[in-house]
Order: sequence, then C-alpha cells, then structure tokens
Amino acid sequence: MKKVLLLKFGELFLKGRNRHDFISRLKNNILRKLTAFSCKLEETQGRLILSGYDEAQEGIIIEKLQQVFGLIGVADALEFETSLEETKKRVAGLNFSGVRTFKIETKRADKNFPLTSMELDKELGAVVLDAHPNLKVDLYESDMVVTVEVRTNGKTYLYNKLHLCAGGLPLGSAGKGLLLLSGGIDSPVAGYLMAKRGLEIEAVHFHSYPYTSPQAKEKVIELAKEISSYCGKIRLHIVSFTEIQEQIHKNCDEEYMITIMRRIMMRIAEKIARANDLGAIVTGESLGQVASQTMQSMNVTNSVVSLPVFRPVIAFDKEEIMALARKIGTYETSILPYEDCCTVFLPKNPVIKPTVKRAEFLETSLDIDALVSQAVNNEEILTIDEF
Amino acid sequence: MIYLDNASTTKMFDECAEIHKEFSCNQFFNPSALSGGALQVSKLIADAEKYVLSRLGASEGNILFTGCATESNNLAIRGSLRSGNWEYVFSAGEHPSVFNLAKKLEQEDFVVHFVPLAKNGQVDLECLSNVLNERTRLISIMHVSNETGVINDLQKISALKKTKCPRAILHVDGVQGFLKIPFALRDTAIDLYSFSGHKFHAPKGIAGLYVKNKGGLKELFEGGGQQFGLRSGTENVSGIMQMRKAIELIDEKANFERTKEIKRLFNETLLSAGARTFGEGVSVEKCILINDYCGSPYIETLIFQGVKGETMLHALDAVGVVVGLGSACSSKKAGNRVLEEIGLEKETIVSSARISFNAYMSNDEVITGAQIISKVFQDILQRVS
Repeated sequence: MKKVLLLKFGELFLKGRNRHDFISRLKNNILRKLTAFSCKLEETQGRLILSGYDEAQEGIIIEKLQQVFGLIGVADALEFETSLEETKKRVAGLNFSGVRTFKIETKRADKNFPLTSMELDKELGAVVLDAHPNLKVDLYESDMVVTVEVRTNGKTYLYNKLHLCAGGLPLGSAGKGLLLLSGGIDSPVAGYLMAKRGLEIEAVHFHSYPYTSPQAKEKVIELAKEISSYCGKIRLHIVSFTEIQEQIHKNCDEEYMITIMRRIMMRIAEKIARANDLGAIVTGESLGQVASQTMQSMNVTNSVVSLPVFRPVIAFDKEEIMALARKIGTYETSILPYEDCCTVFLPKNPVIKPTVKRAEFLETSLDIDALVSQAVNNEEILTIDEF
Repeated sequence: MIYLDNASTTKMFDECAEIHKEFSCNQFFNPSALSGGALQVSKLIADAEKYVLSRLGASEGNILFTGCATESNNLAIRGSLRSGNWEYVFSAGEHPSVFNLAKKLEQEDFVVHFVPLAKNGQVDLECLSNVLNERTRLISIMHVSNETGVINDLQKISALKKTKCPRAILHVDGVQGFLKIPFALRDTAIDLYSFSGHKFHAPKGIAGLYVKNKGGLKELFEGGGQQFGLRSGTENVSGIMQMRKAIELIDEKANFERTKEIKRLFNETLLSAGARTFGEGVSVEKCILINDYCGSPYIETLIFQGVKGETMLHALDAVGVVVGLGSACSSKKAGNRVLEEIGLEKETIVSSARISFNAYMSNDEVITGAQIISKVFQDILQRVS
C-alpha cells in the first residue's frame, strides 16, 4: 500500500487516434511542471499515477498540478493490489470523524474483477455501516464520497478527496499563437484562456517610451511571468511604438487615431507571428467595451491581417474578466497605475463605427510598411519561463 | 546625472558612511545593554537628542528616533487620539502619510475636519479659524508642501491655536521644512514635529519626532520600553549618529540663501529659453513656472503645457536629468490631489512636474539642467503637436 496522486484528465477521451499524442504531451507538461520535485509518473488506462514524491510536499505539488491544462482533477489516493478483502479493510479503516452521511462510488475499469461496480458499491457500503453504525448512506447529498477505482494495472485506488484542476487541453496540443499583451486586465486573461485550449503563447507588447514609463514595461513582464505559470514558456516581443504613435498623431484624424494604431499593431503582430511560425493572433477584446472594441472597429482592425484572430473574452462582461483575472493571479498587477501604450495620445472622441475605406484613406499619409518593418526590426525579445 | 528630485530623497553625505561603519562595526553595542560600550552609545544617543533639539530651536521637549517620517506622523497622530467628544483637524494638502491616516480615522468614526488650501497653496487660515474650537484635540498641518513647496505660516497657525483651542495638540509634518526653512520651534506653539533624515543628506531608515510633552503621547506598539516607552525597539544607533552628523554639516541659513540663488538661476535660465512665469495671476503659455511667492526655494512645480509631466520625466531621465512628479504616492492616474486643491485644471495638473534642489549644486549643473529641460520640452512639443 502506498500514497499516490491519481490524476484525471478530461476531454482527452474524445480525441480518438490523437489520444496518445495528447497524453504524452500532458505527461511532458506535468513532468516539466514538477521538475523541482523528485517523483515518478506512470500511465494506466485513463489515469496518470504520480508516486515517489516527498509527502511533505504533497500540497505544493497539488497546487502545481492545478496549473497544468488537460488535468481535471487530482486525488490523493491509497494504492494497493487489487483484492476484495484488501479493499474492504481499507474502506473500513478510513477516517469518518465528523461525517454523518456517505456514499461509495466505484469505477471498475478492470472488467476481470469479479464484482460489478454496483455490487462493489453495496458490499463496501455494508462494510462501512458495520464498522460505523451511526453513519447513513445518502446518494445525493453525502458528507463524504468514498471513491474506489479498480484499474487495469492490477491496482485499486481509494480516495475521498478530489482537487479540481484547470481542465482544458494539454499546452501545445493546439499549436502556437501570438498574444497582444497590454498592461490591462483583459489580455492576460485572454492568454490564459487560449492556453487552456492547448495553444502555446508568445506575446507582443507595445510601449511608447518616453510617453509611457519603464515601470509600465516591467508591469507587462510581470504579467507575462504570472500567466507563464499556466501558459509555459513565453517569448515576449517588446516593440517600440513611439514613432508610430507620433506619426499617427501628426498625420491622421484624431478620431481615427486609435483605429489606425490598432491596425498597425495588428500588422506588426502578424509579421511577428509569421516570422515565428505562430498560427493565430490572440487579443483581449470584449465586444463593446470601448470604442475600439465595437463590431465595426474590430472589422476595420481585423481587415489588415489574414491569420485567424482569437478573442476568447469577446462575450465576457468586465466583471467576469476581472473575476477570472483574480483567480489566475494577474488582477493585482493589472491594476497597477502605470499607463500602457493606448492611453497616451487618447483622443477625446474616438470613432465608434469606423470604416475600412476611411482608415485606408487616412493611412495613405503614412509609410505603413516602413513603420511596421522598423518596429519589428527593433523588437526586443525576452524569454519568460515560470512554468 | 543632474539630480533635480531632492524632495524625494537626497544624496547622502560621504561623512555619514564613515559614521555608519564606526557604529556598525566598532561601537555596535545595544544601547540598552549593561556594558561600558553600551553605556557609551546610550550617552551618544542622549547627546544627539539634545543636539537635534537645539537645531530645532526647541527650549523643551524630547526627540523620538523613528524609522521614517510616515512612522513619525502615525505616532504623532495615532498617539494623540483620545476617546470622547474630540475633533481632529487636518489640512487638505497633507502628505499621504497624514492624509490617508486622517481618512482612516474618519472611517473609524473620529470627527475629522479637512481644511482647504487657499489659491496660493497655503492652508486657508480663515477656514482653519472657523473649524477650531474647544473640542479640537489635534491640528496637523505640514510645514512645507512636498508637492508645491508652499510654506505654511506656522506662527499664524500657532496664534490661532492659542486663541481658539489652547489645549489642542499642534502637529507639524516638517519633512520638507527642517534644515531647509530657517525657523525655531520656540517661536511657535508646535507640540509635535516630524522630520526625516534622507531628505537632508542622512541615510534612509532614520527619522524623528519632536515631542514637547511626552506625557500627552501614547505609543503605537508594545515592546522593551526604549525611548520613554513611546517607541520600543532597539535604537538605530548608526542611523541616529549619521543623522546627527548630517545636521552638523548643514548650515540652514546659508543653504536657504544659496538655494534661493539656485532657484533664481534655474528660473532665469528657463525664462530666457522661452518659459513664461505664472503666479499671482500672470498669464501662462507653454512651459510655465508656478512662481510660489510663499514657497520654499527647494521646491517648484513646472507646468509643461501640451506635454504630460510623466512624459517629460522619462524623456529627461533618458538624457540624465532626474525630476519628480510630486509625491510618489499621489502621482497616480487619479491626478494630483494637492494641485487640484489649489484650483489647477486637470489638464494643467497632468502637465506638471516637480523640480527640487539641494544647496550643494553647482551653477553649471543648475544652468545645464534648465537648458536640457527647455530643449527636451521643445523637442517633445514638436513631436506631439
């Protein structure tokens, strides 16, 4: 008998022939996440088993696993050779103090086991009731759920506590994308959500020194570190936007300033994405949140790129985004007061329904290709890895 | 580097570093211990206390040595709270270490009054007079505004206290005043006066609170009972001795005159580069000086019309000129509370930057600093307009 962590993965079952790839990616991600710990990770049908770790570190290991996409739950379980007698003994020996109602939930993956799940539920329930006559069975609202998993590796796992994990798909299983990372609340959340769907992330940040502070840049580096604990290694492309902003400010209608800024940012993002084999652009835009995030504005900014643009928080309320930012730990950094790129030359009345035609006309006064190339050529790249 | 952010902090005197070594590596005794060496350092502390009192021009009272002016201010204010039907009076222009504490006291159901600032930046004495009464327990007003450099009239405030509420405690946050503005505590009715070493070339981490009547103050925390039980904790011997040294090295009257000359030279250079003065109703244009006629020569506010103060700060930083943006704690997005209080428009406030001098700058530094500021301002103005 030994203590192990039983790791459950979710949607991976749906993935047919790719299943093996997904699981091996998940295993790699778990091992990377746990590099600092000595432990052993094994696969049995439908489950991963982590063992051989220092029990004093179990709590922190569980916390780390909760940041690995693809896992839906971690149970601290007892593992023993499959036998009905042993299972009865272990179930009877569980600590039921403070518990009034319970239920047994059996998962019999090993079809050679002589009893069906239902039969085993009944047998084990009877064992518990014999040992603890004051307890009652409640199948709907029990204080404690005792789970018994009879796996195909000849082992049985017993647990009564399941730690929920982040879910999603293993990082990297959906390819790589480029996140537009501002210093705000929304874009780190967008990065997190896409990483949750298996997308590895690189990020691009636009700064406008001296119109923005070095602290604003540090803040973005900090945000990248924070999401890196979920999103894995992040290459952060830092692009100076100062000259572009000055040119727009000088040459374009004030009400179109932000529209044109966003169009140039998208062009720069696409150029960086293509140069680095990144298959999509990710933004933290939310429909109608500000003038540059109306449907018409997004159409005008989207029209300069051909890569898909993922906007995972498009339908989220600000409150929902903030709640998620708090959950993943980026909120406090995001609300630091340093201005990011967008707030410097803010026009009083930005256009709410821009048109592609007008934007294109205004851009004729700018040497867009030169500005984009210059910005990309001068980018600074930082590699951030807090996974 | 041309450093024009001395209200934020100052460069430490080299002499302090030597003192630090002496009292950290040789005479490193705990002044509360019983050895001969310990007795010696405890005497030195007592001597330093007397010396600081003399430099404050105090004829009675004690000095508590603290870790920072925020601690001194909190000790002064929290230590003066009493239960009962008392009222607490603060100026609206206080530093966050006083202002935010006053806000907190309001939440804790103390009766708190904020006295507005007049257009010249001083606390409005008429309003102050109206708010003071026999229930006033504490008046807390700063000596020199860290944002604008405006000096409050401590004698008039003292006189108001004496006539309207003689039993009240008068606390003055003197962080930008001590050793900068010549004055003597004995000429005022001040009961508590806060100051901080790193604003006058001593190290960070050492500050003080003058206490006229220590029986009237309560401690913030319990401990070994050092410093009359009002500030428990082993004294920062090295810090105290370094601060003493810095005070010895400063001649505030000579420095005051020298800094006036520095400010004059700086403003003259800016003006000859096209800036326009402002103050007492003079019209304004582009780069403006807030010409504070009741101001400290050590601090002034510049308004860079059309450019954000923060942009100027970064652009100047990049070419080796360091300026400030008012109190670090209030230079946030919301704007600047104190400049708002004296009636400046929001657009003017975001265009402001704080320049602060020390008496030891050379004329060259001052002139070059002003020239660079003019040039960078013109340059950015061109880029953004």
